[in-house]
Amino acid sequence: MDSIRRQIVEFLPRLRRLARALARDPADADDLVQLTVERALARGAQWSPGTRLDSWMFKIMKNAWIDETRARSRQGRIFVGDEAGQAVGFDGGGAMQARLEAAEVERAMARLPQDQRLAVALVLVEGLSYKEAARLLEIPEGTLTSRLVRGRAALLAQLEEVA
Amino acid sequence: MDREHRIAAFVDGELEPAESAAFEAELRRDPALAAAVERQSRLRARLAAAYAPVLEEPVPPRLTAAASAANDAGPARFGLPQWAAMAACLAAGVLLGQAALPGPGPVMVEDGRILARGELARTLDGGLTADSAPLRVGLSFRSREGGYCRTFTSSGDGLAGLACRRGDRWETRTLTAWAPAPGPAYRTAGSDTPPEILAAVDGLIAGEPLDQAGERAARARGWRP
Repeated sequence: MDSIRRQIVEFLPRLRRLARALARDPADADDLVQLTVERALARGAQWSPGTRLDSWMFKIMKNAWIDETRARSRQGRIFVGDEAGQAVGFDGGGAMQARLEAAEVERAMARLPQDQRLAVALVLVEGLSYKEAARLLEIPEGTLTSRLVRGRAALLAQLEEVA
Repeated sequence: MDREHRIAAFVDGELEPAESAAFEAELRRDPALAAAVERQSRLRARLAAAYAPVLEEPVPPRLTAAASAANDAGPARFGLPQWAAMAACLAAGVLLGQAALPGPGPVMVEDGRILARGELARTLDGGLTADSAPLRVGLSFRSREGGYCRTFTSSGDGLAGLACRRGDRWETRTLTAWAPAPGPAYRTAGSDTPPEILAAVDGLIAGEPLDQAGERAARARGWRP
């Protein structure tokens, strides 16, 4: 395996996490990861070893997700499979509680508008800095922070309502 | 910057050191502001905790195959080399699925749990906060689930993580790539711990982190709750 493939394989867990924050349904999320990987490999020449792979691939995923969401809304499909992918088995009570809390978060994320969801996913889930996230989304930092503030308020409104 | 933006920037670690210090001084004077920060910190921790387990799931073999198969020669026409590459990568995928990290690293997968092993397990068992590099324990605390958890950084492995005691093992709850920040060596416990680990701590901690006496006592009891 050459360098980019190896790095992509190592990066798959984080791609899957971002995809899950964006697409919610685990099967949709993994489809998004696959599409991202395929696009990245098709454009591998654009990436030079030694530069950061994560921002580059996150950006490809962002674009793939936006394309995919548009295509699906044209087809009239509901993007988020409600209640899908919740049946993950766990043993202890603590793990079950954590899983239920995660499901609430996922539901609240799925209701955010696309631009807020991207901002929240990149900064609050993936831990990117404002600068990195703004550059990746190709928006000014002020726009990013406004989306974050609105996204946070919407999440809190939902999560504190169910709590 | 308005109030909401400043709160968000503070919680996200985006304020300059001077701004941050000024904000902290305000926090002490303004309980309503402190409550708002607390609320936003909890949200951040909750989001991080909700998605962190994805990192520990086995990666589906189809994704590993997509990344590693020699499939950019065009649409699928399975010639022998491609099959061979796919088979090799599927094998790698299975291996990754079972072992998460290949080789004799600091963790192993057993029954779907990522367990610390070797030097990392020994450090978590025996080390006190601020023991020396390259393996350092950051914070030790009691979790809401009732057991003890500890954060660690390993410059040798390029990893930082959060592990909780389960039975007589340390189960890794969050694991992330990490490199030590350059700069002076004076650090408080946990100051070098990456934000996603700290967020996971925030989502799990009951009360305050243990001080050294608390750590010693917990260690003496074999980290049993």
